[in-house]
Amino acid sequence: MSTTAPAIHAENLHKRYRQTVAVDDVSLRVEEGEVLGILGTNGAGKTTTVEMIAGLRKPDSGRVTVLGLDARRDRARLRQVLGVQLQASYLHHALKAEELVHMYRSFYPDPRPAAELLDLVGLADQRRTIFEKLSGGQQQRLSIALALAGRPRVVILDELTTGLDPRARRQMWRTVEQLRDGNVTIVLVSHAMEEVERLCDRVALIDRGRIIALDTPAGLVRQARAADLDDAFVALTGKELENTE
Amino acid sequence: MSTDIHARHPGPRSWLAMVRYEGTMVARDTAGLIVPIGLPLLILVTSSSAVGDEVIANGRTALDLYVIPLVLTMVIASIGVINMPSFLAYYRRAGILRRLSVTPASPVMVLVAQVAVSAIQAAFGIAVALTVAFTVFDANPPADLGATVLVFLLAMAAMYAVGMIVAAVSPTPNSAVAIGLVAFLGLGALGGMFGGRAALPDAVAAIGERLPFGAAVEALAMAWAGGAVDPLHLLSLGATVVVGTVIAAAFFRWD
Repeated sequence: MSTTAPAIHAENLHKRYRQTVAVDDVSLRVEEGEVLGILGTNGAGKTTTVEMIAGLRKPDSGRVTVLGLDARRDRARLRQVLGVQLQASYLHHALKAEELVHMYRSFYPDPRPAAELLDLVGLADQRRTIFEKLSGGQQQRLSIALALAGRPRVVILDELTTGLDPRARRQMWRTVEQLRDGNVTIVLVSHAMEEVERLCDRVALIDRGRIIALDTPAGLVRQARAADLDDAFVALTGKELENTE
Repeated sequence: MSTDIHARHPGPRSWLAMVRYEGTMVARDTAGLIVPIGLPLLILVTSSSAVGDEVIANGRTALDLYVIPLVLTMVIASIGVINMPSFLAYYRRAGILRRLSVTPASPVMVLVAQVAVSAIQAAFGIAVALTVAFTVFDANPPADLGATVLVFLLAMAAMYAVGMIVAAVSPTPNSAVAIGLVAFLGLGALGGMFGGRAALPDAVAAIGERLPFGAAVEALAMAWAGGAVDPLHLLSLGATVVVGTVIAAAFFRWD
């Protein structure tokens, strides 16, 4: 395989739920070490798209390869190198943070040390707190730590910082920057312009299941002749990005 | 660039971790311990005072040959057919299975950890009940201990197999609980849970004897009395294990 093969290659993805078209002909290439942001309003098809990339959902048509592996057919191999943080994911409610970290570490041959994972998401002090006693933001951070347990080469983060306080948000940004420095490929679903601007090399704008623009943050602003990314989003989609934070 | 990526399945340490943390989950859910530990004791105490102490066979009384086999079977059936599928249903509904599905862990690890932990609970509950039976109600030990233990283990595997069928074929998490209850009550009714199989019409009783609950009660009673266990009952239990394993392997999915 050539060295220029993309880390993620999605070709013509389609997904329909009963009468609703969720994803309508989405194609994407993400290069190794790149951070791609996916922006869009609620229901635009962001989560369905990343779930198809993660091999969690089967596209009605189209194909995804990650590091050259078919997202559905080569699932077992892909699981070794892919870390996924799901939106609204739930973990064993009666286990402590450190117990969950140990459980998830045990799935991988060369996991990151438990203390390092908890430090990375700022949960060292909460390591003996059971999952259901953690705040929503802490649960989300723990879920991100678990996604990184196996030293993944590709990471999918669905709503990285939604619901986090400003301090925790900056900490997660630093975590993503460290991953990027380690040449990890990252797909970041986000609502937050500031986050996308700071972290992402390129941004895909998704609206009604289609990619309507795909460029660097600065490129999107130029393309829309807008003052900033917020304005560019409104100009390109005709919608305000709802502030869910 | 994909050639250096190999599918490594989690090793024994990971399996042990899963069992250990399943156990932790159960131990921290004290209400969930009532059924496996409280139920056998309750049935034993309420049934034991009702039976006389005349000898039925080989020095064994009605308590030994009717009550205890029924109590043991009810315990393993309720844990295997109702508890285990409902726990899996909860995991599924809460998204825990979905989260695990994006890791190298396999659904079989979750199933095995569940079975291991609930078997430990059942063993504990049954130990408590039998201690009471022997010390308070003067129960007699099995005439053939080896055969009794083997039959019991086979019956337990059969009940988990039924539970796995329930977990695997239920279309939704809530239906798993309902289907488990119906399966338990149906198998139990045909197997003599409500007043003994002798009270059932002959044809129905014959069917019940061939289903896992009835077969477990009959085989346990016979082993306890020291007689030769009817191959029909062993065949029923063995076939249930095979069918349940095949169906679970074919149909159990993360989501």
